[in-house]
Amino acid sequence: MSYLHFSFYAAFTLSSLGLAFHRTHLISALLCLESMMLSMYVALTMWPIQMQTPSASILPIIMLTFSACEAGTGLALLVASTRTHGSDHLHNFNLLQC
Amino acid sequence: MMGFVLFLGFCFILGGLAVASNPSPYYGVVGLVLASVAGCGWLVSLGVSFVGLVLVMVYLGGMLVVFVYSVSLAADPYPEAWADWGVVGYGVGLGLVVMVGAVVGGGFEILVTGGVVNNEGLSSVRSDFVGVAMFYSWGAGLFLIGGWGLLLTLFVVLELVRGLSRGAIRAV
Repeated sequence: MSYLHFSFYAAFTLSSLGLAFHRTHLISALLCLESMMLSMYVALTMWPIQMQTPSASILPIIMLTFSACEAGTGLALLVASTRTHGSDHLHNFNLLQC
Repeated sequence: MMGFVLFLGFCFILGGLAVASNPSPYYGVVGLVLASVAGCGWLVSLGVSFVGLVLVMVYLGGMLVVFVYSVSLAADPYPEAWADWGVVGYGVGLGLVVMVGAVVGGGFEILVTGGVVNNEGLSSVRSDFVGVAMFYSWGAGLFLIGGWGLLLTLFVVLELVRGLSRGAIRAV
């Protein structure tokens, strides 16, 4: 595996592990999600460079567009849950706990 | 020059590690800023400067600014920086995972040879400018779908933060 591929692959794996483990704050999980989107953007940009196909440059731009949508929605969920629960601590979100 | 590109790749992983080890969100955003600046420098060094600048403008200048002022909702009385034992434990554990992945995935002998295709140099047609310009000609349908998705997200966000009492936006 070349160094470039290892670099964004490792960043994606680290961010997804950070998303999976228990956090104190909801916004830490949202930051890990943003880090995953960043590593996917760099990964998609490698495609037109290494395959020498310029038309594939559209892909990272589209991905960034929908990643911005998702970040806005995640932050709106953060604000809505902070209003109802008082803070964004994940151990307070236990309404559905059996 | 090659050493600088390797350093930028290392900073990219370091930024991801700084977010994934569980600090207080004030410090997690710093890791994300480092990763996006390193990613932009990396893309510029590979020759595709346009998508690198789009990354800085939209991601760092748009999305991360919104994240930074939303972090004010996560106020801790004692924020955990990177020198606290919990964060160091997470960081060392995740760094170990990266090292094991590097050793299993072929080792670091690739580090010497590199193996990067770059398209820098003096040419009047840059590949990423041409590629993204096709977004407006052949990809016009996808452009309109992306714009429609963004408009829809605006209404989704407004609906989510409207609150239980329908009408005024409450102060948080």
